[in-house]
Amino acid sequence: MKNILAIGLIVLFASCQSKEEILYQQYVVEGRSIYEKNCSNCHQSDGSGLRDLYPPLAKTDLWKRVSQEQLVCIIKQGQKGNSQVNGKPYAGYMPANAKLEAIDMAELVTFMQDQWGNKKVYSFDEAKAALKNCR
Amino acid sequence: MQLKPIVLNVLFFVSFLIVSCQEKKTLPFLGPKETRVSAGKVDTIYHQIPAFRFLNQDSVWVSDQDMAGKIYIADFFFTSCPTICPKMKTQLLRIYDRYASNDAVRILSHSIDPAFDTPSVLNQYAKRLHVKAPRWNMLTGDKAAIYKLGEKSYMVTAQEDKNEAGGFVHSGAFILVDKNRHVRGIYDGTQEVEVNHLIEDIEILLQEK
Ligand code: HEC
Repeated sequence: MKNILAIGLIVLFASCQSKEEILYQQYVVEGRSIYEKNCSNCHQSDGSGLRDLYPPLAKTDLWKRVSQEQLVCIIKQGQKGNSQVNGKPYAGYMPANAKLEAIDMAELVTFMQDQWGNKKVYSFDEAKAALKNCR
Repeated sequence: MQLKPIVLNVLFFVSFLIVSCQEKKTLPFLGPKETRVSAGKVDTIYHQIPAFRFLNQDSVWVSDQDMAGKIYIADFFFTSCPTICPKMKTQLLRIYDRYASNDAVRILSHSIDPAFDTPSVLNQYAKRLHVKAPRWNMLTGDKAAIYKLGEKSYMVTAQEDKNEAGGFVHSGAFILVDKNRHVRGIYDGTQEVEVNHLIEDIEILLQEK
């Protein structure tokens, strides 16, 4: 009896959310685990970075300075050199993430946007196109 | 209300027990021990970190003698390491900040990629972390000497299995060394809770004479 009630509630709740909303939540959850595995070592779980060694991803001008396409390519290819983040120069080395595929990128970027940027889904198709165009 | 004498006695006894247990909290001496008989007395010789000398981020020599009378935490890393080293440095920063005004506690971070991690690379790295020698020395030098020291002297528990040589210097371990260069604890430097234990143990060592 209890089970039926619970299932009923879940169905009710799920049907209240649009399909898009469910996809968004799913991407955020998956994206968080990709972030924890590949990025949080340096950029920290809360995106605050590590002093002047690793730049922050939260509360930065990144989200205005860099397009989603560029973001995907930075993540895929890594970076070495001179980014200016919030006007501060960083000169460290960020490893490439060649193993992340379009679906991972969509989830990861959606998670990052949810946490620190605009709360919008980054679709699989967009990620796929962006990955193709990285130079 | 009046407590019966017997209850008071029990209370006294229990609190005495608790106090005496706390006083006894000491850290083990890790690594191989030797016993030596001299003048009819048996002495235990504990494993000790041998003499060493490396260059730090300011191109200054740092040796075992600079550590005399200091408690220190040793670790092994390299600046371009993408995986566990950033986590270790995040944890070491907690220790560095906590003992900012205590000159008795030092950190020695040894590079295991000394060809790349020259003093000037280490200097940049330390600057970006906002840390300074001599409280936090980042060391570089002869690769073979660093590995030998790491595997034979610091990683004393890992070394018990003789077939498992190598690899351990890259295990993310923090090694706690006392004022006489005895190894007193080994901790997983990538885990916040383990580093909490390390901090508790530093406090115990600071009480030792
Ligand atoms: C080994 C540490 C390390 C790891 C792991 C790492 N990064 Fe970075 N990241 C850096 C460094 C250092 C820079 C700055 C590079 C430079 O100076 O050009 C950077 C820069 C960036 C930038 C550009 C910042 C800006 O404002 O221009 C983004 C975005 C970024 N990283 C995202 C990620 C994501 C997402 C991951 C996980 C997939 C990740 N990083 C993993 C060290 C790291």
